[in-house]
Amino acid sequence: MSVLRKAHFQYKELFLDSPPPTGLHCVVLLALALGAQALTPSHHLSPADLDRLKAFLNQPFTDLESAYYSIVGLSKLGIAVSDEHAACQFLKSQLDPSNIDSLFFASEASQALSGCQIPLSNETRDLLLAAVSEDSTMSQIHRSVSTLSSLGLPVASQEVVSALTTRITKEDNVLAIILALQTASRLSQQAELGGILEEIEDLAARLDDLGGIYLQFEEGLEATAHFVTAAYALSDHVDIEPPLKEDQVVQLVNSVFSKKSWDSLSEAFSVASAAAAFSGNRFHIPVVVTSQGPAAVSHRQPMLQLQVTDILSQPLPSISVQVESAHAVASKSVVLSQAHVLSSIFVPSGIFELNFMDSQPASGYYQFAVAVTGDSRLVANHVEMKVKVSTEVAINNMDLSVVDKDQSIGTKTTRVEYPSKAKTSFTADSHQNFAMSFQLVDVNTGVELTPHQTFVRLHNQKTGQEVVFVAEPDSKNVYKFELDTAERKSEFDSISGTYALYLIVGDATLENPILWNVADVVLKFLDEEIPSVIQPKNLYVPKPEIKHLFRDPEKKPPTVVSNTFTALVLSPLLLLFILWIKLGANISNFSFTPSCILFHLGHAAMLGLMYVYWTQLNMFQTLKYLAIIGSLTFLAGNRMLAQKAVKRYRPGC
Amino acid sequence: MSNSVISVVSRFLDEYSSSTPRRLKVVDAYLLYILLTGGLQFLYCLLVGTFPFNSFLSGFISCVGSFILAVCLRIQINPQNKAEFLSISPERAFADFLFAHTVLHLVVINFVG
Repeated sequence: MSVLRKAHFQYKELFLDSPPPTGLHCVVLLALALGAQALTPSHHLSPADLDRLKAFLNQPFTDLESAYYSIVGLSKLGIAVSDEHAACQFLKSQLDPSNIDSLFFASEASQALSGCQIPLSNETRDLLLAAVSEDSTMSQIHRSVSTLSSLGLPVASQEVVSALTTRITKEDNVLAIILALQTASRLSQQAELGGILEEIEDLAARLDDLGGIYLQFEEGLEATAHFVTAAYALSDHVDIEPPLKEDQVVQLVNSVFSKKSWDSLSEAFSVASAAAAFSGNRFHIPVVVTSQGPAAVSHRQPMLQLQVTDILSQPLPSISVQVESAHAVASKSVVLSQAHVLSSIFVPSGIFELNFMDSQPASGYYQFAVAVTGDSRLVANHVEMKVKVSTEVAINNMDLSVVDKDQSIGTKTTRVEYPSKAKTSFTADSHQNFAMSFQLVDVNTGVELTPHQTFVRLHNQKTGQEVVFVAEPDSKNVYKFELDTAERKSEFDSISGTYALYLIVGDATLENPILWNVADVVLKFLDEEIPSVIQPKNLYVPKPEIKHLFRDPEKKPPTVVSNTFTALVLSPLLLLFILWIKLGANISNFSFTPSCILFHLGHAAMLGLMYVYWTQLNMFQTLKYLAIIGSLTFLAGNRMLAQKAVKRYRPGC
Repeated sequence: MSNSVISVVSRFLDEYSSSTPRRLKVVDAYLLYILLTGGLQFLYCLLVGTFPFNSFLSGFISCVGSFILAVCLRIQINPQNKAEFLSISPERAFADFLFAHTVLHLVVINFVG
């Protein structure tokens, strides 16, 4: 059994360092979705699914409807009910000739049984013919027409078409239109089915796309499955390719077959019908390519085996399978450039195989492009898949030594062969390094390997402590590991003692992961200190007080300098007085009129106010006082200057 | 060369002392006083530093402002410019000068901090 899994899911899994989970013995078919051609069915009916579906359908009959689902559903899967005679008797006994549904179930089921005839009276026939009209529901028309057709009675196809067309415009829901498609597939090919055929395209447009992987009707799985059945039935009937793109077909496959447990007989019936439609129509046959077992090859198992089947896990006749190209996932180097045809080894199960190890691939993952040809109906016949090439690793030239740091003593190396353990133990103190070097080679080809995981593990048996280091390869792919006891003592908590040295080698592409106890190493650390008990910090002490920092005052010049300059700045005032005296300026013109005195006093007051403003007042207070003094001074000044002017113009006065 | 300069300067001084009205000489002495005061402040700023920067600015601005106002006063009371300031008597000019000074020093004191 193989299960195709979702591509992106697998892709992630590949890069896990551990090998793929072995519990799923069928797991890894690595179909990677790439580009337009890459959408491949991620669900189909595997043989196990098919068995469960058959078992689900093969239930004891409870009524005509369940008998219909069981008998017809099983016949779609290519098997008959166990006791056909008893089934036929059941149909006849349950038949109600006055009920269209009952007639439909019985006649359809009897068609699937060999030699089972449903008795028919004239009233029944009239009843069925009368139901074919624009006034009946779509379901009634469908059941009447199907019954008439199964019973081999003539149907007026053109009338049915016009009735269907009318009902489509009236009901216009997905289920009704699907029934119309199914009804049309039972009509004569001469009738004008073009209008109804166009409904396939309209319905396809109503499908909901889920993440580009699923395509389904919101009415549910049954509607989707019935749509597939009806679309292919009608297309086969008129021999016109249904207007579905390759991607849409694959998405329909995914949504119909993703559900693996069915709620009801009718749902299981619809899935069986859709499976039959997908595997047996004239236009689109979806191909399922799975690997036989895990998609992995090695020297022991050089054959890559692929199973190529249809949706029902049945082999496809007369097809050829070829690998068009293969390249390494990591390095992108192409391994197979021309097409390699896979030889068919077991036709009944559709298994093809290729000896991939012939092209001598290095271990790793490879991307294969597989093409299935031979039938123009094939859909999803170009498959991308990932194949693992695994190999076995061997450890060569394992040398162990203890090196003095000052190199004064020549190093003595000891070679150890896998899987034995070194006979003597090694002792390294704080003046020495413990060194280890080895090579990893492919057993089959002798090529050097660099696996993902190469670890050196030191395990103290007494304390149970373990320390793991990563061993890294140098440019010549020789792994070297050096342990400086003085430097690394913190990682060992300075605990001296005997450590068991293990080498761990692992990779997803290695068939024989290695865990090797190489030797015992005695490490001696210089200051073996008892780890001090860490004082629990008291979190609840008050924090130091935060103090405001004032800005440092600017550096002031010495007092002498500032005083000197004060005197200097004031000195021109003295000069002014000297000059004025020399010029003969005087106050002889000063008159002791009240206005004059008031004016000068006002000025003096204003100067005083300026000083007070500087020392203590604010602008508003100052302005208030200034307004009072200023207005007085203004009046006085006005008067005084006016007198002076008068005096000037009339000097005699 | 230097002689001619000296003669020019002495001629200029003679002219000045003889032909300038005394009233203008008083104003000129005032202008010289302000110029020196401002210059000394600037010298202090160059030599010692601008530390109380707003004090320096207000002192210097006071000097510049006073100088300009005094120059305006001098222009207005100069008899040679009488034609241009017909409507402005010397008394009016002096009153304007005092008023402008009051406003100027209000600002300066506000700024001195």
